[in-house]
Amino acid sequence: MSEVLLEVNGLKKHFSAGSRFFGTPATCKAVDDVSFTIERGKTLGLVGESGCGKSTLGRCVLRLHEPTSGEVKLEGVNISQLRGRDLKAMRRDIQIIFQDPYASLNPRMTIHEILREPLDTHKIGTEDEREAKIAEVMAIVGLRPQVLNRYPHEFSGGQRQRIGIARALVLEPKFIVADEPVSALDVSVQAQVLNLIADLQEKKGISFLFIAHDLGVVQHICDEVGVMYLGRIVEKAPAEVLYRNPKHPYTQALLSAIPIPDPTASKESMKLQGDVPSPLAPPSGCTFRTRCPHAMSRCKEERPVAHNTGEQGGEHLVACHLFD
Amino acid sequence: MSEQTPLLSVENLTVEFKTDKGTVRAINGVNFKVMPGETVAIVGESGCGKSVSSLSIMGLVPSPPGKIVDGSIIFKGRELVGLNEKEYRKVRGNEISMIFQEPMTALNPVLRISTQMVDVIRLHNDVSKKQARARAIEMLDTVGIPSPKQRIDQYPHELSGGMRQRVMIAMALSCGPDLLLADEPTTALDVTIQAQVMDEMVRLQKELNMAVILVTHDLGVVAESCQRVVVMYCGQIIEEGPVEAIFANPKHPYTKGLLESIPVVRDKKVPRLPTIKGVVPDLLHLPNGCRFADRCDKVHSRCHEVVPELSGCEIHRVACFSPNGDVQ
Repeated sequence: MSEVLLEVNGLKKHFSAGSRFFGTPATCKAVDDVSFTIERGKTLGLVGESGCGKSTLGRCVLRLHEPTSGEVKLEGVNISQLRGRDLKAMRRDIQIIFQDPYASLNPRMTIHEILREPLDTHKIGTEDEREAKIAEVMAIVGLRPQVLNRYPHEFSGGQRQRIGIARALVLEPKFIVADEPVSALDVSVQAQVLNLIADLQEKKGISFLFIAHDLGVVQHICDEVGVMYLGRIVEKAPAEVLYRNPKHPYTQALLSAIPIPDPTASKESMKLQGDVPSPLAPPSGCTFRTRCPHAMSRCKEERPVAHNTGEQGGEHLVACHLFD
Repeated sequence: MSEQTPLLSVENLTVEFKTDKGTVRAINGVNFKVMPGETVAIVGESGCGKSVSSLSIMGLVPSPPGKIVDGSIIFKGRELVGLNEKEYRKVRGNEISMIFQEPMTALNPVLRISTQMVDVIRLHNDVSKKQARARAIEMLDTVGIPSPKQRIDQYPHELSGGMRQRVMIAMALSCGPDLLLADEPTTALDVTIQAQVMDEMVRLQKELNMAVILVTHDLGVVAESCQRVVVMYCGQIIEEGPVEAIFANPKHPYTKGLLESIPVVRDKKVPRLPTIKGVVPDLLHLPNGCRFADRCDKVHSRCHEVVPELSGCEIHRVACFSPNGDVQ
């Protein structure tokens, strides 16, 4: 099961922002030279604060955004070059679950229409087969078939997110981008939806790119975790390694900022000062240096390159001068 | 602590909303007290009535469709329910302040920070514009905004989310309130910013010795900053007690379930998160008896017939027939 399903190489997505009347418009490097691979049936978690480029990255993988440069390969096929029919065929294999279960379902379509549309678009199976498929995904996500003729507004947030997941599953994709699928949900519902996603990984062998800002959520779902800061992955390691031994100061700060639901817990926290800098004018050298407690003069001049610091041949990529 | 007079005491508060489908009781017979200088958390999931409780205290329940049908809110020995708008305005922002969840919608986008802050200060204090401005700059400095003299003349959109929430806090505290209502103050913020803002709030609360009611769904935030916790479910208080007791020894099955299902960073990855089965019942079609009965593991016939009362010792009360699993 160590077959590479998705490979991302040097992916960049730059947006031009605020075209100035004189001079060159500023560029926002939303995603800047990101590479990773995801094996079949595995899940990569991407975490970071708002504006770090994690959602843009997810959308580039799906080609909802056209990447500025770099390549995305699904089963060895470079999907950033696909056009027309091939592109449409590829879309069958990659699906997305959105963050906001209120905005991502068409309010004028019934659940049946929402689930039926992808099957019709891709002309899959006969009439009966399509209906059978819809019934199957409804059962997987735990919704009763009686609700098929209802509209999205009749459902709660958790149920809507299940509908979103059902829609992603109906085409039997190989790969799903889950963009903050539980952050709009209440805790008790969050746990239910996370367990549902864990079941899907297990039973269907679907690979996920799981985007979240909550490191606690990511731990339960992911095999590998990448931490993003201002468009770059600053640390990437297998989940258990990253949580046991976070190396990059940013990862450490993120972990220690999570409030612990235990009033007796001692808090040796590492507080970050200030906000994320504007991506329009990122700091020179290491982009994290403005908030980093270990910043040295070298951090200002030279951008740290990610390299492997893993023990016993394990992968643990860190982009920080402390580990050069 | 019981000999002290409470700063705020909410008694049997019941709020109803008229909807197209019928009248909904958003909160039903809510009782709690807040002592001076104390931080009390109201926790619960969406729709449990935690925001309506705090809006009622502020006199901000939209009417119609909302209406306080029963109960009283006594603040510093004075009844707040039934105050007219003019009287309420003297309380709001002066003695009781509020911070909202979304700092962008709570600030006026077309007015500079200075205008908004000076207005509040001058409404409640007899000071000149110049003095009010000086006070505003001082407050911005207190909440940790760098270069407040420049920042004060900016518009809300020029500030980041964390900064905006700090401005909200500065504004709320500018008249030295005795009670601060914070409705999900950090929910819209990133964890690192949340940690900064919460630290700031805890520090100011101690410095100014004001009482805080923190409305939140995040039990992690509660554990780190509050002394007492009120847990709400479907418009009722189901458990209330000191923070240590609630976290170490939750008595209500719902509180227990809520605590277990938080996806915290654990020492080891667990294959499945514990969950509370089922969903929150619709407020229009509430079950008879205990409102949590349909989702509870320890349910027995009595739970479906009688509504459990909040009972137990003075400091840790719970509304359940079988707290800790033993049938009473």
